[in-house]
Amino acid sequence: MADVIAVERLTKSYGRSRGVVDLTFSVTQGEVFGYLGPNGAGKTTTIRTLLDLIRPTAGHASVFGLDPRREAAEIHRRAGYLPGEFGLYDTLTGAEYLAYLAALRGDVDPRDIRELADRFRLDLDQRIRSLSHGNRQKLALIQAFIHRPELLILDEPTQGLDPLMQQEFYELLSEIRTEGRTVFLSSHVMPEVERVCDRVGIIREGHLVTVEDVGELRSKEIRVLEAHMAKHVGVEPFAILPGVQEATSEGELLRVTIAGPMDPLVKELARHEVVDLVSHQPTLEDIFLTFYGDEGPEHDGR
Amino acid sequence: MADSAISQPMLGSVLSKTVRDQRRALVWWGVGLVATAAMYAAFYPSIVENAEVLTQYLESFPEALKNAFFGSDADFVSPGGYLHTELFGFFGPLLLLIYTIGAGARAIAGEEERQTLDILLSTPVSRRRVLVDKAAALSATVAILAVVLWVALVLLGPPFDLTPGVANLAAAATSMSLLALAFGAIALAVGSWTGRRALAVGVAAGIGGVTYLIDALAPTLDAVVWLQKLSPFYYYDANVPVKNGLEPLHAMVLLAIAAAGFTLAVIGFQRRDLTA
Repeated sequence: MADVIAVERLTKSYGRSRGVVDLTFSVTQGEVFGYLGPNGAGKTTTIRTLLDLIRPTAGHASVFGLDPRREAAEIHRRAGYLPGEFGLYDTLTGAEYLAYLAALRGDVDPRDIRELADRFRLDLDQRIRSLSHGNRQKLALIQAFIHRPELLILDEPTQGLDPLMQQEFYELLSEIRTEGRTVFLSSHVMPEVERVCDRVGIIREGHLVTVEDVGELRSKEIRVLEAHMAKHVGVEPFAILPGVQEATSEGELLRVTIAGPMDPLVKELARHEVVDLVSHQPTLEDIFLTFYGDEGPEHDGR
Repeated sequence: MADSAISQPMLGSVLSKTVRDQRRALVWWGVGLVATAAMYAAFYPSIVENAEVLTQYLESFPEALKNAFFGSDADFVSPGGYLHTELFGFFGPLLLLIYTIGAGARAIAGEEERQTLDILLSTPVSRRRVLVDKAAALSATVAILAVVLWVALVLLGPPFDLTPGVANLAAAATSMSLLALAFGAIALAVGSWTGRRALAVGVAAGIGGVTYLIDALAPTLDAVVWLQKLSPFYYYDANVPVKNGLEPLHAMVLLAIAAAGFTLAVIGFQRRDLTA
């Protein structure tokens, strides 16, 4: 399938600090691509380049095979965009705000607006000034969808949404995927990306660390398993299991750090009496450790 | 029903939305201009009554000072002369410049600082189009204010014998709106290049202050009289439009400044990164 987004050796420098360096990746039509990284890693910089809000220092990005610099209007017509940080027109109501954007886009069915608002339970008659943070996020999210875009570019879409609305958003995403539309979304939380994305690009300090299928990523993921045993067990049988990076046993508490399949570990545990079992979600830093070991990206050449 | 809001005529374009945003402010500016016109009209009879004393008083001023504050003409007794030295000499342009500089600075830099620009520019509307619409909105709103002032003077002048002529008043209001538009365009240009509203206000207001003083003081020094012609204020009222009508060439100069400001704004806005 065709690449909807193609980023080639993209570099954006801001003096010495932020920015992105030499990014190359592509997003295929119909996939949900997650762009994962901690805040300040360069996610927003990349995204704003795709929409010609900022221009690359070097390299090139294309969207729908179009050049953002010269063909921004066409890209904008076919894409929906939710910025990571945004302002809305405080004096307008939600309905007026969406009516304005719909008029500027020109190809919006009012029923779609109504439907999205119902779906996210947003009262469009309220003035934006009086909306809560979550409701402002919903309104900004809705505006990205009103014209049924082929591509959605969403910068941290779930921030500020309550869990119920996150759920609704995930469902909307899966519908969009079913319809063969493409989604490029950024996030700084691994579980979210694992849940909704097909592929994930991981970015840290402006450098693309890896691009992988979610399944592959999951298999590489480091997990910390804490098992409360009925009585002390030795670490030796666990330490030799495949993928185990570290195993400690203090009193009844057995702690195993493992990357890869959990099955052998669980089978080994089952030979003993287990009182309680806790598996920690890996943090982003844990994930970076998987790819770097103890080295930071600054040792990654440039 | 929210569906009824879907096709709001005033939210159909960046131009109409920008004018709509100003509607409440425009009412207050209009009220202020009408009140100003009323006040200057109401004072006129007492000026006429005391014309002799005032003229004598003025004669006691050094020539240079007189020029600086009242212009070489120093006619402040005829209806046109009075309005030229008073309302159109200082307070009128001051009010209108405050409006256009504020609106020009807000147009792009204001949206940018409020972070509303990212979403606006993610629609198929181009940067150039946004800027053209913002410039058009600025022109339209300043025209509205000029018309309000003109109507106020046409209606409120006669009861106080302040009658420089309807056409001359229109000429003066037009000249003033062109002057204000020129400075609004400067503010818009600075805002479009930098994205910084306060800077745009500061630069435009600073240029306004300096060129006003140049226009007022340069004629008092023979060596630098020519400097006056660098000031937009010279082209605004050197010809005393409220007595002599609009001087087309001077009006063109003001229009050219505005056009240059708008053009620079488009160029600057298109070539730079938007602040996140």
